[in-house]
Amino acid sequence: MNSIEEKLWNYIDGNCSIDEHKAIATLIANNEAYKSKYNELLLLNNEFTGMEMDEPPMAFTYKVMETIRTENARQPLKAAIDTRIILGISAFFIITVAALLVFAFSTVNWTAGTTIKTPELIKLPAIKSYFTGPLIKGFLFFDLVMGLFLLDNYLRKKSGLKHH
Amino acid sequence: MQSKLSDIELIEQTLAGNQSAYADLVKRHQRFVFTLAMRFAKNREDAEEIAQDCFIKAYRSLASFQRQSKFSTWLYSIVYTTAMTFLRKKRIDTSSIDDEATYIQIENKPGTYDVNNIENKSRSYYLNQAIEQLLPDDAAIITLFYKGEQSLEEIAQALGIEANTVKVKLFRARQRLKEKLERNLKHEVKELI
Repeated sequence: MNSIEEKLWNYIDGNCSIDEHKAIATLIANNEAYKSKYNELLLLNNEFTGMEMDEPPMAFTYKVMETIRTENARQPLKAAIDTRIILGISAFFIITVAALLVFAFSTVNWTAGTTIKTPELIKLPAIKSYFTGPLIKGFLFFDLVMGLFLLDNYLRKKSGLKHH
Repeated sequence: MQSKLSDIELIEQTLAGNQSAYADLVKRHQRFVFTLAMRFAKNREDAEEIAQDCFIKAYRSLASFQRQSKFSTWLYSIVYTTAMTFLRKKRIDTSSIDDEATYIQIENKPGTYDVNNIENKSRSYYLNQAIEQLLPDDAAIITLFYKGEQSLEEIAQALGIEANTVKVKLFRARQRLKEKLERNLKHEVKELI
């Protein structure tokens, strides 16, 4: 069973039914104990309603926004791109590949023989001629230079981080 | 000057990439979030950390806000969980609503009650002092109800409990607050209530 105080708080907060509200209003009007308690709680309720809130520091919003900006700047590209875009691109490629496969299989003449012959009109380039000694040496030399360049970059970055 | 746009409009602008819209949201809610954080942390430094953490968490998960409740209700649920995690980290036990041992030290703080100074101090001072002495749960429920413009159902949603439980807790919290006020003010309480 509700105490007087509990009933009166429900009445003040508006958390009781219409019938209960009427009954409590009558009690407040006719019963001295209810009336004095009601006035006491009403005053207390007004005090609570008027309680002061704490003020955050002046730079609060700035600090929050700065943290957010810093986090966004650090965010990798993978996380910055909307996943729907990534899924869309993936779906496009899957559909394209599937459509090409369907088209390719539908145009194959399955009754033809199994031996693969290059059409006579197509002349394949002489690939072997490209892989001559000097060309391969040049390519490897270029790779070596690029490798050294990247290693230098990596070491520079590493030493820069240590200094900071 | 604060934006006249609604919370939802500001959220939509933020999600579209306008960060200043989120700054407006922070400005709008920072005072209450900070007050609520103060109810848990009991000191400004920790409250600032909790409040900042809340707004950053809210920003990160803004896209997952379902808009089935008010933004403030959603934000206060983040405040509550963040504050609880923070207090757990600080090894302050706030799980039991009846465990007042932790806060006895605040009540017995020297100089808390000084008869000679009473006349000079405002009513709000005594009310804030009494709220500080409450357990975090009690203080948070009272603050959410009176200053957060939250219904019992919304408070229940923010705290992750039943609305009826909130009603009971609010009743008990108000009783405790009244007792603290009476204890602090002694005979001055007669004038207040």
